[in-house]
Amino acid sequence: MSDKNSSSLLVIILDTNPIWWGQTNSKSGANTCLSTCLNSVMVFANSHLMFSHSNKLAVIAAHTNKSCFLYPLPKEPVPIDPAVDTENEAEENSVKVPQIGQNDGKYELFAQFNETIKSEIQNLIFNDKLEGELYSDSLIAGAMSMALCYIHRMEKEASVGEDVSSRILVIKGSEDNAAQYMNFMNAVFTAQKQNVVIDACILDNDSGLLQQACDITGGMYLKVPQMSGLLQYLLWVFLPDPVMRCKLTLPPKAQVDYRAACFCHRNLIDIGYVCSVCLSIYCSFSPICSTCQTTFKFMGPPKILKKKSKRLAS
Amino acid sequence: MAASFTPRKLDCKDLHSYLKTLPGPVLDRLYNHPATCLAVFRELPDLARQYVMRNLFIEQPVSQAVIGQWVVNKFTNEHKYACKALSELRVWYEQPIPGGQPGWILNQTFRNNTKVALLGGGSPWIGGRSTTVDKYAKDIPFLDKYGQDRWECVLHFMVGSSEGSEGVSRDIIEVLNNSGLMKVDATDSNPLITPAGFQFLLMDTQSQVWYFMLQYLETVEHRGMDLVECLSFLFQLSFSTLGQDYSTDGMSESQLKFLQHLREFGLVYQRKRKSQRYYPTCLAINLASGLSGVSSDQEKVGFIIVETNYRIYAYTDSPLKIALLAIFCDMLYRFPTMTVCNLSRTSVREALIRGITAEQILNFLRSHAHPKMLATAPVLPPTITDQVRLWELERDRLKFDDGVLYSQFNSQSDYELLSDYAKDLGVLVFENASKRVMVVTRSGHDDVKKFWKRQKNS
Amino acid sequence: MEDEKGYRWETEYEKTWEAIHEDESGSLQASIDDIIQKAKRRKMLEKIGNIRLGMMRHLYLIVDMSDVMNDQDLKPTRLYSTVKLLEHFIEEYFDQNPISQLGILITRNKRAEKITELGGNPRRHINALQSLKDRKCQGEPSLQNSLDLALQTLKHMPSHASREVLIIFGSLTTCDPGDIDSIIQTLSENNIRCSIIGLAAEVCVCKKICKQTQGKYNVILDESHYKDLLYQHLSPPPATSNTSSSLIRMGFPHHTLNLVNKEERPSMCMCHLDSKNCEGFNTTGYFCPQCKSKYCELPVECKACGLTLVSAPHLARSYHHLFPLDGFIEITLATLHDSDNLHCFSCLLHLKDINVYKCPVCIKIFCLDCDLFIHETLHSCPGCSSNRGNQHEKMDIT
Repeated sequence: MSDKNSSSLLVIILDTNPIWWGQTNSKSGANTCLSTCLNSVMVFANSHLMFSHSNKLAVIAAHTNKSCFLYPLPKEPVPIDPAVDTENEAEENSVKVPQIGQNDGKYELFAQFNETIKSEIQNLIFNDKLEGELYSDSLIAGAMSMALCYIHRMEKEASVGEDVSSRILVIKGSEDNAAQYMNFMNAVFTAQKQNVVIDACILDNDSGLLQQACDITGGMYLKVPQMSGLLQYLLWVFLPDPVMRCKLTLPPKAQVDYRAACFCHRNLIDIGYVCSVCLSIYCSFSPICSTCQTTFKFMGPPKILKKKSKRLAS
Repeated sequence: MAASFTPRKLDCKDLHSYLKTLPGPVLDRLYNHPATCLAVFRELPDLARQYVMRNLFIEQPVSQAVIGQWVVNKFTNEHKYACKALSELRVWYEQPIPGGQPGWILNQTFRNNTKVALLGGGSPWIGGRSTTVDKYAKDIPFLDKYGQDRWECVLHFMVGSSEGSEGVSRDIIEVLNNSGLMKVDATDSNPLITPAGFQFLLMDTQSQVWYFMLQYLETVEHRGMDLVECLSFLFQLSFSTLGQDYSTDGMSESQLKFLQHLREFGLVYQRKRKSQRYYPTCLAINLASGLSGVSSDQEKVGFIIVETNYRIYAYTDSPLKIALLAIFCDMLYRFPTMTVCNLSRTSVREALIRGITAEQILNFLRSHAHPKMLATAPVLPPTITDQVRLWELERDRLKFDDGVLYSQFNSQSDYELLSDYAKDLGVLVFENASKRVMVVTRSGHDDVKKFWKRQKNS
Repeated sequence: MEDEKGYRWETEYEKTWEAIHEDESGSLQASIDDIIQKAKRRKMLEKIGNIRLGMMRHLYLIVDMSDVMNDQDLKPTRLYSTVKLLEHFIEEYFDQNPISQLGILITRNKRAEKITELGGNPRRHINALQSLKDRKCQGEPSLQNSLDLALQTLKHMPSHASREVLIIFGSLTTCDPGDIDSIIQTLSENNIRCSIIGLAAEVCVCKKICKQTQGKYNVILDESHYKDLLYQHLSPPPATSNTSSSLIRMGFPHHTLNLVNKEERPSMCMCHLDSKNCEGFNTTGYFCPQCKSKYCELPVECKACGLTLVSAPHLARSYHHLFPLDGFIEITLATLHDSDNLHCFSCLLHLKDINVYKCPVCIKIFCLDCDLFIHETLHSCPGCSSNRGNQHEKMDIT
């Protein structure tokens, strides 16, 4: 009665922003390039799959101008259980050239998965025509929305009595994208509602947005102090699933800054003014809301002085 | 769960307890194959798996005190359990860290081969994927059906139904006899099913295959095959891909022989005996998942609906399934696609007398429940589960205690003296003052006898 | 337009069963699922963007506790069923309207009674609601008395706020001390929107109240319809024309340790002041940036200086009401190029249904499940947010 089926779905969102990776590589040498990071992530992902027969995995790349799935690939009609599908693989590979998984003792499934990721990343980078403006931030919110849709589907497809616990791990180096704030927060609230834990592994700049996301969904936020030890950080902190985490001693949760940034100057503020119509935040009183163009005719008692001055001006 | 303590229960070991029985050197040799490491890794307790991962890239012993601190105080018991499991399977062993404090270090063979499975390197697994196209390539539905059919043949044979049992080979019969699931009667040449066999029938397919394989492995060495080679091949098989063909190149003599046996059991499909390629079937692949007690998605959809009025509707034509139900049900009606039967006190008692436990009956009903039933919680109506358990308890109303009878006392006072003494010691089982008889437990007999002798002498 | 249709039983007979077809295996499930999903989509499309919404809601829930609430047409009784649904409603209400307030009134024995004051703490309301289960349902309800009680509080609420009353009405009668028309008049003068969910049958006076105060009046069909109707009141209603707008001063407290001379000092928080145990006594909390009172939870109105304390995510929670996602366009799969090999953009599902859904902005294709999920829960299009060209830059003020 007690052995209820449970499986753990991990969606890894990998930041593949070429600008950031390029800059970091030139700054700190070969120690931190995408391929070494990718190797660590693949070993981490293999470990997740190794943990249990029923564990599932998806990897999404958050690129500078798009987000796309790296694994599983849409070519396979039923990419549900990594342990049993790939019949198509056999058909595709019907002209059998020396195959993956043949060459060494790596577990077949892992070899396939790693091969897929590698070739997809290659596709992504080679097909990326860096046209127009270059951005040093990645579209994390899009990748998170995709992850949530995928998780939603997986939980729906799970067989009766199966209990899927899902989490998203964001591995990110580039800066936050302020323009995606709304999409990002929508994704975070959705995750909270769906009981999806968001973890963040930060390679470079602290991300205020992800700190909030982790705090709201109960995930782990970790800024990697040393890139060379990435794999160990991943294995120690992010491999245990949320149930396991309460049993292990892990780094304490950091204080999260929930202060708002005003829409006018992007300053962090303690006390601000909020438009009652569109909830835009301003650091000082202004007679017209610049977001929704509402004119404010009524003011609360503390603002009487300003009211007078406005009348004088008009 | 109380039922599990009854001695008659068929003991189906999981991988962990099986491996524990193997001697250390054999284990070390087993870990030489990445597939075994994977299988063992997945069998470890949750916490132990975390420990292995954390230690995988640390090439030196880690202080036991440090590892103890990885866990929140509240879960110290789980920590101890995990450490015990790791030591028992020789995944790690004790070694002092520099400075003399006790530490753990991961078994080097295990570490290397887990790394190989995880990262690559090392030599390819024996009998890897075939490099040519199979003209007669088989798809997954075919393999599913093949595996199931083969296995059902074995079960048919056990229940003695004629259908399809001609496919059962001498080897299978031998394993069945050796394991005590069937026995050969002196009067009849055909083996008969034993109480253990009935319990076996009620298990789900994965457990059946695993139990069967365990029994088979016990006989492996008599057949002149190497246990380690067979086991590691079995594990490798369970980690292969369904629908993929593998080649027999590079397999040793004993492994080829083992493969032939697996073919008979239905764990692999080989078109011809001499064929250079084989397909693992779902039976083999589910073995890995069955080990950890998780039923896999491949499990056929259930067919049983149990109602609170003790009526069971089974949507099946399979004579085997109906025969299984008939073990503990009264059959009522039979329709082309459905059978109706009743759970009754007599039918369940009959099953209980055959050595089947209530828990096994309920488990069978639960694991074959119709998807409609699975959607409800609990799956089985509580009235049914309770009643079946009560019927089982009914049979346990008599308790047997060994004892010694004291009788023919000369006087009432002698009797009272002795019975009071026995009562004080707490060893008195039964007394009847009017007939002057009493029964004392076997353990208390000596004391009471000595006391009586002293009394007589004084 | 409701009026033109007249009462339900006067309209033409609908042959509902004709819409249902058996599939090959003779099952109706697929057909029914289809109808349900279509209905969901229709409801989704009805939401129109770009109208001003009353974001700061002040809602009074009025629960009928007259003896008809003991009826067992909803299982186990009307009251139990109502309390169960309302518990969920309150949680969702504060989830979707984090800076709004809510209060609970009951009416029975021809009287109205206040259970909770207007407030922003869901737990307090839910506890109060649960205690209602132990109370007796008796006598007749009074619409006038309960509306009057709600009016007393609501009319003092700031004018930028949306003032609402939602009545769960099981009875078919009301016992009022005076002329109910006068109170309806006052309600509509004070911009109080009054909606009613009837549990029995349509009642003329209820219809009148809702019509004149621009609320909604619905009568439930069954329990799931009840839930649907109730949940329609979760999203903020369009603001009435005379709601004024203003800038509201709010505090955004930092979650901090109470550090005095770099030493941790535990202190009592304002929200647990009257609790007997030491629940609110610890070293961390949110401090009001104006008067430094401590609170353990946000959002809250500072008890000392009256400043509304919120965190940025609370405001962000409401943005999806303000910037709703455009509906996707339904297209038939067969019209698309390479239609056998298409996959849903966000969940990779192989598309096989007849209809698929296209985002008008990023032209990505989605399956029905994702379409519903995106519009009901996620509120942002995965295609658009993973494409730099068509970002929602509405919030980015440069």
